[in-house]
Amino acid sequence: MKVLPSRSSEIMAQVPAQQPATAMIEIDRVSQIFQTSARKDHLALSDISLAIEEGAFVSILGPSGCGKSTLLYIVGGFVSPTSGSAKMKGKTITAPGPDRGPVFQEFALFPWKTVLGNVMYGPRQQGVRATEAEAQSRALIEMVGLKGYENFFPKELSGGMKQRVALARTLAYHPEVLLMDEPFGALDAHTRTRLQNDLLNIWERDRKTVLFVTHSVDEAVFLSDKVVMMSRSPGRIRQVIDIDLPRPRRRTELLLDPRYQKYVVDIERMFDDSDEAGANA
Amino acid sequence: MTWSAAIGRRVAPLLACVGLLAAWQVAALALKNDGFPTAFEAMRAVPAILGDKEALINILASLRRMTIGFAAAVAVSIPLGLLMGRSRAVAAFFNPLLMVIYPVPKAALMPIIMLWLGVGDIAKTLVIFLGVSLPVIYHSFEGAKAVEEKMLWSGAAMGLSSVQRLVRIVLPAAMPEILTGCRTGLVLALITMITSEMIARQSGAGNILFNALDMGQYDTVFAMIIIVGAMGIGLDAAFEKVRARLVRWSEPQFDIPLSFS
Repeated sequence: MKVLPSRSSEIMAQVPAQQPATAMIEIDRVSQIFQTSARKDHLALSDISLAIEEGAFVSILGPSGCGKSTLLYIVGGFVSPTSGSAKMKGKTITAPGPDRGPVFQEFALFPWKTVLGNVMYGPRQQGVRATEAEAQSRALIEMVGLKGYENFFPKELSGGMKQRVALARTLAYHPEVLLMDEPFGALDAHTRTRLQNDLLNIWERDRKTVLFVTHSVDEAVFLSDKVVMMSRSPGRIRQVIDIDLPRPRRRTELLLDPRYQKYVVDIERMFDDSDEAGANA
Repeated sequence: MTWSAAIGRRVAPLLACVGLLAAWQVAALALKNDGFPTAFEAMRAVPAILGDKEALINILASLRRMTIGFAAAVAVSIPLGLLMGRSRAVAAFFNPLLMVIYPVPKAALMPIIMLWLGVGDIAKTLVIFLGVSLPVIYHSFEGAKAVEEKMLWSGAAMGLSSVQRLVRIVLPAAMPEILTGCRTGLVLALITMITSEMIARQSGAGNILFNALDMGQYDTVFAMIIIVGAMGIGLDAAFEKVRARLVRWSEPQFDIPLSFS
């Protein structure tokens, strides 16, 4: 498959000089088999290998049911792979840990805690003193645009606001990797666009490693350095595409940028082809 | 909520009480039956009972057993229910046992318990304990089962151990459901308290009631019903106040304005 002409030399000049990239996360021949109710084995992930470099924003893009979330859960340590392994900085992942911070589509906020209580929860658990944790958390709440809502309970917030709290709550304990599981999937189009912009602004400050699961082609291209395309049944990697678009990215500029448009169209075509192939099979 | 609605909410139960007493009064006057004193006569007997030292000791003994039975049941049932809700093995072990005990009226166990433990405090407290346990276990179980997996994962990513997740995530998340069980349990505690004293008549509010019945003091019988009923209403109202405070975050109408004006 032919991908875009590379213009990396130009683009490199706009990115701050980086250390030689090291693999932050290594997924090595991971397969995942689930038992369905009929006692039949379902191969959800088949032989996935993928390296994610430090500081990279990597999206996993695919249709629903392709196992992309499962792959994220394996990196999170929430699910153990049937075979193969996932490593973080060379160490095999066996359990969740504060070095990998998840943000879920369902928000998963603690409903009995206020916005401030939610955001402070991680730092407090890590042993940060209350006054310090509170100051940091208030700053984060302001950063995600929720100043003034510190004492609200989650049920009093809209979906977009909840996801902002969830992001702040995860950022608060300084994970090295952000694991985002279709975080904007439950939001309306307008809110989603705003959160994408804000996420990029936040990410461009400290460039954490991000693994971002989505089924939206636009979203993946707009946000990512690299898009991992997955196909369904069994879930495997179809193609990994580098997105050579300059940063900082501005949505309004990108939408007019032919390079951006070509990425989106190319990826959508590839998915269409595979759908037809699937229909003919 | 408007001001008049707030008043209406407070006045409505009072009106219902007055209406009930009025209907009682009219019915008793109409029937002219020795076994059915008027509301007025029954009410007049209430201060007489509460002023009697012996009766007061009996009622306080009832309340003491009920408090101990209820507290012990809650202390055992919440952890058990939560564990059952989160661990298939624990649920598989206790479920058959509870399914057998659940439909058995706890008062029906009273004769056996009396046989083993006598007619004293221990037997009666145990019956109250059994009566309260099941709804609290059941609701704790349901509450724990409903806790969102991703919420626990979020906690695990922050470094909470499995025990910490149970105490600091499952417990608070299930609290609304747990407290619903406790509220049912509280009323059942009152019921089993009176029933146990009716069967093992030695002391307590139920004992006063049945002694009065034996002696044909019907105004005292009805006065005791009023006292026990008032205790139930008072306890339930107090519990509801506490419950509403504890789970303020989950209440459907929570009128904090969504703006800062």
